[in-house]
Amino acid sequence: MTNERYLIVSYFVCAALAIALGLLAYLYLRRPFAGVADAAPGKSLPSMLKRLFPCGLVLPALFGFVSVSYRSCDRTTYSEIVASRSYLVAKNQEQIASILLSILVAVLFWNLVGLLILRFAHGGRDGSTVRQLDD
Amino acid sequence: MNLELSAFLILLAISVVVPTILFLLVRTSLNDLLRHTLKLQAGITFYLRSFLLVLYLASLSAAIGTSFDLKPGSRFMEYVWKGAEGLSSSLEKTLWFVAIYLVLITILVATLKVRDDE
Repeated sequence: MTNERYLIVSYFVCAALAIALGLLAYLYLRRPFAGVADAAPGKSLPSMLKRLFPCGLVLPALFGFVSVSYRSCDRTTYSEIVASRSYLVAKNQEQIASILLSILVAVLFWNLVGLLILRFAHGGRDGSTVRQLDD
Repeated sequence: MNLELSAFLILLAISVVVPTILFLLVRTSLNDLLRHTLKLQAGITFYLRSFLLVLYLASLSAAIGTSFDLKPGSRFMEYVWKGAEGLSSSLEKTLWFVAIYLVLITILVATLKVRDDE
């Protein structure tokens, strides 16, 4: 496989990996987050939060992927970039690391959202309402 | 299997084992703490799963970002040093994000406890 072909294939594989990892994180947290979101006040807010949740994990993953640039100080032209296979592999590693880090930041952000929901839900509900939510 | 790939796989394995051990050590007490603070079962599960994700993502992002692109003919110890560098980065990132998560949990416990006390 030539370096140019490797670059094309690996780029789109990493893009697919970003979406897949974002979706995996969403599927892993979907049910408990829906339970937390249901405790939010109002009718439209829980539904809005549940709809935003997948976007809030997949889009950061994609952002992490596209934030890595192949151009660097010593490699500015396309031919310089595709000249070295090890450089391309290192960039792929950087992309995956960036995807994971972006998902991590997104998870922490949603933790903060969960905290705010529970903070406002906690004061406004008594034990019985919360038990109903558990069911 | 060449030395670069072996070193990378060993680093990857350590980066999975360390967060697993950390999670197993903390899981029971974190579960108890959340159970005492939150009345919502979904909230407990959400924060426990988030903690597991934080640990794995922090550790793996640093490990995968480590490049073993050494000069041809590099000696064995150069790979070990590079692996140690990657492990250091992985542990540092894990500790930073665990610290951020702990701050978040402390705020959660503090705010909900205050409401309970009121």
